[in-house]
Amino acid sequence: MNKISRRGFLHFLAAGLSFLGLSSLLGCKEGEKAISKSFSDGGKSAKLPSATATNPPTPTDLPTATVPEPTSTWTPKPTPVPPHIAVARNGDPETMVRKALAALGGMERFVKQGDDVIIKPNICVGYHTYEYAATTNPWVVGALVKLALGAGARRVRVMDYPFGGPAPQAYAKSGIQKQVRAAGGKMEVMSGFKFVKTNIDKGKSLKSCRIYDEVLKADVLINVPIAKHHGMAHLTLGMKNLMGVIYNRPQIHSNYGQKLADLNSRVRSNLVVVDAVRMLLRNGPSGGNLGDVRKADTVIASPDVVAADSYAATLFNVEPNGLRYVRAGSEMGLGRSDLGNLKIEEINVG
Amino acid sequence: MVKDFKHTPRWTPRRWVKLRKVVQVLAFLLFLASFLTLRSGQVFSSNPAEGDLKTALVKLPLRLDPLAMISHALASRQFLAGSALALITITLTLVLGRVWCGWLCPLGSLLDWIPIRRKGTSRPLPPERWRSLKYVLLITILIAAIFTNLTLLVLDPLSILYRTFSTAILPALDHLVTAAERALYTIPFLQMAVGRVDSFLRPGILPSTPLFFRYTALYGGIFLTVLGLNLAAPRFWCRYLCPLGGLLGLLGKVSLMKHHISESCSGCGICDDVCPTGAIYPTEGGVDSNPGECTMCMECLPSCPGQAVSFPFGLSMAAWEPYDPGRREALVGLGASVAGIGLIGSSAFSERKHPRLIQPPGTREKDFFQECLRCGECIYACPTGAIHPALFEAGVEGLWTPVLVPRLGYCDYSCHACGQVCPVGAIPDLSLEEKREQVMGKAYIDHNRCLAWADHEVCIVCEEMCPVPDKAIYLEEVEVTGREGEKRVVKQPHVERDLCIGCGICEYKCPLDGRAAIRVYVPSL
Repeated sequence: MNKISRRGFLHFLAAGLSFLGLSSLLGCKEGEKAISKSFSDGGKSAKLPSATATNPPTPTDLPTATVPEPTSTWTPKPTPVPPHIAVARNGDPETMVRKALAALGGMERFVKQGDDVIIKPNICVGYHTYEYAATTNPWVVGALVKLALGAGARRVRVMDYPFGGPAPQAYAKSGIQKQVRAAGGKMEVMSGFKFVKTNIDKGKSLKSCRIYDEVLKADVLINVPIAKHHGMAHLTLGMKNLMGVIYNRPQIHSNYGQKLADLNSRVRSNLVVVDAVRMLLRNGPSGGNLGDVRKADTVIASPDVVAADSYAATLFNVEPNGLRYVRAGSEMGLGRSDLGNLKIEEINVG
Repeated sequence: MVKDFKHTPRWTPRRWVKLRKVVQVLAFLLFLASFLTLRSGQVFSSNPAEGDLKTALVKLPLRLDPLAMISHALASRQFLAGSALALITITLTLVLGRVWCGWLCPLGSLLDWIPIRRKGTSRPLPPERWRSLKYVLLITILIAAIFTNLTLLVLDPLSILYRTFSTAILPALDHLVTAAERALYTIPFLQMAVGRVDSFLRPGILPSTPLFFRYTALYGGIFLTVLGLNLAAPRFWCRYLCPLGGLLGLLGKVSLMKHHISESCSGCGICDDVCPTGAIYPTEGGVDSNPGECTMCMECLPSCPGQAVSFPFGLSMAAWEPYDPGRREALVGLGASVAGIGLIGSSAFSERKHPRLIQPPGTREKDFFQECLRCGECIYACPTGAIHPALFEAGVEGLWTPVLVPRLGYCDYSCHACGQVCPVGAIPDLSLEEKREQVMGKAYIDHNRCLAWADHEVCIVCEEMCPVPDKAIYLEEVEVTGREGEKRVVKQPHVERDLCIGCGICEYKCPLDGRAAIRVYVPSL
């Protein structure tokens, strides 16, 4: 009988292990390259992946990163002071996204050369196509991928953690995968081991939870919810969309308003684009009836997640502070819900 | 050298053995590929040609299994076109002997690769008479099948592999890989490598969300026992127990190609020692063999110092050994099957179904137990881990038939993989639209434990998760009065009985620990 000798087996094992080690070294090298690239290109040392991954955010760096300050460092474009919220209406999804972003000062304001960008749409279930308005409009996501790459992003990944059905199926069914790939982005299936226990220093009700590591490490997080009905939160918008980046979701359900705000204090959306091309008015979040869908042809963009959600709530004739998470978010200073005092630019595309 | 080469026949005995080993590895890999393809169920429909190929691949192993196909035809009273593939194995056996066992069977190969019994040990082998056990099992299975019972197909070698792989080996592997990934992911410079290995493994080989099974130790233990029996005798399972081996052994008695020992045999007994199934036995002045036990592994061919072993073709019927099935085995088999059927028929499960016997979509209206092969392919195909082998829900008759365990996995509203992979259509191959209409059970709320009902907490998870377009769970706003007379409005869930399909996602996602406050039961009508 031709047996493998013990020596042969050990040789084989050693070869395998050294291959593993080598490949990990190669992977590491690539990562280093990326980091040095972002050093030289962007010079955004405050937002280095490793810095945000290991150190909890200091109270000072969070608000400045996201709350729009007229005096911030972006180079002035035609409009000297960008609006808090840009709303585009009556166009095809891609044009609306482009116009809204242009009004905010262009994607270059949010994405710098060499940035690692993650786009988080709402792909909560793999049951229906986008017409049923349970998942974010594919062309809205596709347009954002193109804009981010155009602004010089090193890579753009799109991901969500569906609660109904496996992710690959949901990615395909929603149509988002097709548009993202066509635009040059990558769909990432979120793996359980990358949800790492993270402290939420500013959290009042939620002190720690397992958050998807890549989202915390990314240079830019673009939050792209679809505006729809929800049995508990009444509406699910940008702040609630971040439920998709945590592992243990049932823990959010009690005192959800404060907990969602807590989560948003740790996971900051650099840009929020609310897809209200189609709105799901009833039987959310999973949907399934075309009769529950209203075509609103609206895209709302803002760097302020609370402001974006507040404006989106008005589309449903809901008072922004009637949404618990919006109220908790504005109380925590995550953003503003006083729409009357905000500069809102409305663009009619059609 | 050149001269030597010319004189060496192209196919030396050793080459035959090598060829067999290669074929064994290839057949095992094919089985593994077929098994792993089960998981890609949800993408079957994306590309029709690719889908057809994958469907054919996942159904292939059991369709080649004559024991499963014959019993299914007997019990279900229907002959499936796909079952004709079993004729390949039957023909192969009639021409070449039990090559299935020696060259192809994945369980047989595994047992070959685990030669844990020490060579040349003096420990005695079990008595030869035990060999008749497999024939008794075979006869029991076939007679029971005539009486529409397929319970003992749980002993089919492929069934054992499918069940163990899906409920024990893969989940355990997944757990270990995840633990390793989580540990290695904390080392910064390894993160990218871990991510790469992970994206290679998931979701193709391992699930992206961990799956959990009940009684994993039992299934792992049974499998280890089958492997461990190798201590008592090489390929113990194949020698004494395997009913499929018994069936093929009987066919092998009349196969064209047979093990033959020529006159030049010196009676040294070396071949007897190397034979993994003990098919060769000494006689006065030489050795003889029983083709019913020979798996055509060819190990004896190079072992013979006198080159007395050959495998010639010829029409003949092998001698009937004392342990080969006779009247006694037939009577025992008949008795066992009749007694078993009587006991099963008179058991409580025949009269009162277990309330949690939630079966795969589309099976409620039919005599499912008469068609199900207990192969467990649907268990691995289910991407959400909803399907488990039944242990206590289905009684003895339905042992290890598929049952949904909603607390550990839900039936995905967009998946119909179980029907697509079932090799005999026991779970009907429904379109997604048809499958969504199937009622598997109905959800009931436990008002004593539900957060909204018992504790007046805010929790609407079941309503949120309900995939039915009009929501089979609705929320009622109720004003409740507290101890001090304070009033509060809570949303309490109700199940709309007519809309509920029993997919079980509400039970799966219920945030309570342990038993859920909303549970799916077999529908009453």
